[in-house]
Parts: sequence; C-alpha cells; structure tokens
Amino acid sequence: MERIVTVVPEDGLHARPASKFVETANEYDADVQLGRADSDDLAPAASMLAVTGLGVSAGEDVRLVAEGDDAEAVLDALEDILSTPEAEH
Amino acid sequence: MDVADISTITPLELISLEEPPATKDGAIEFLLDLAVDAGRVEDREAALDALLEREEEATTGVGFGIGIPHAKTDAVTTPTVAFARSTEGIDFDAMDDKPARLLFMILVPAEGGEDHLQILSALSRSLMHEDVRENLLEAESKETVQDILSEVVA
Repeated sequence: MERIVTVVPEDGLHARPASKFVETANEYDADVQLGRADSDDLAPAASMLAVTGLGVSAGEDVRLVAEGDDAEAVLDALEDILSTPEAEH
Repeated sequence: MDVADISTITPLELISLEEPPATKDGAIEFLLDLAVDAGRVEDREAALDALLEREEEATTGVGFGIGIPHAKTDAVTTPTVAFARSTEGIDFDAMDDKPARLLFMILVPAEGGEDHLQILSALSRSLMHEDVRENLLEAESKETVQDILSEVVA
C-alpha cells in the first residue's frame, strides 16, 4: 500500500515534525518506508537517522509505502503529520 | 555537502578526541567551546541558546549512538561542524535509547538558507553506514577523523 503526500511543515521533515513522524511510524504494526516521490530510493520511516538523511524540504512530495496489518492506519496518521503546518501540532 | 571544503567547515581544532562531559547539555557546551576557542563564534551565549532551543523542540539524538545538535544562528559567520566522541555514551533522549557516542555540532549563519539541513542530511546519510561509524569511533588521530568527514563532503 502506498501514498504520495506533499510535505507542509515549514521546516520540512525536520525537527518536531520529523520526530513525530518517526514516533508514529514506530507505533503501528506495519513496516513503513519513505522516499521522494520522484525517486525509487526508500528509507525506513522508523529511523530518525534515515529520515534526517533524506533531508526533505517543505513543498516536496514524498512516497510512503506501508506493509502490515496497520498499513492503512499508519499511512493515515503519517499523512496527517505531513499535511499539518507545524504550529498546529 | 557541497557547502565548502571540509578543512574550512571542520578544521582540526574543531575535532576533539578528549572525553566530553557525560550529560547532554555538558556535551553540547563542550562542542560549542571547541568552536568558541577556534574563534568561530561571536556570541557564545546566543549560539548556546539556539542549540538548546532546538533540543527543546525535538532531540537531535537520532539513534545508532549519534547526537547531532545543530542551529542556525548569527553567532557564526561560516558553516561550522565540531566533532567529539564519548566512550561510555551520553543520554541524548534518542528514540532507540542508545547512548550517543558520536557527537557532531552543526552551526550555520542565520542567513545560510538550507545549508544546515544540507550538512545535516549529508552527515546523517553517511552515518547510516556502520563502517563509517566504526571508523570514527576507532580513529586514533584528528587527521583520520577529518579524512573520514571529508568523504562525507565528497
């Protein structure tokens, strides 16, 4: 199961949004990977180091790929984080 | 990290092989003082405030035994990366609960745009490789550390 999401928080996938993103990816019974929408490279969403290494900026599209019992639920939760301007968290 | 040459971002005086203090805040001040002593920080207090403010927002303990405190601040005029390592490791509030043994502090000028995120992501990408982490932990000289970091730039 996969989904393309545009990153909204001003700082991109960095600092608090990144931390929330990784925490959430770890909370569900699913294996989640992410990468830039225009790239085949995927990194584990449950690793802060990997997510930091992607260096995704605001306005970029990312691809989320999830497998497992909670795949849909985790994609919903992660999409919510990526679509919410930082101040609202 | 196409920002500049490693010898300007991390000259040897920004690399320490001495044991840093065992607390997160102590280690951050230790890294900052490497940059202060090298004459690269115009306002130590402003830089420290910016670093601690960033930690308060979300920890820079990214797991795998790595801490990367960083900030954009007018206290520096050029991108600066300091390095230290801890034998026992320091509690950096990482999600994987691994104590941070490899410590990098990134300071970039406030008007540096995306420089700090570029350095941060390049560094993070290379640190995902276990051999890079091990080489940094085992390096016996500052020159060796700088050589390893220069491959991050390349």
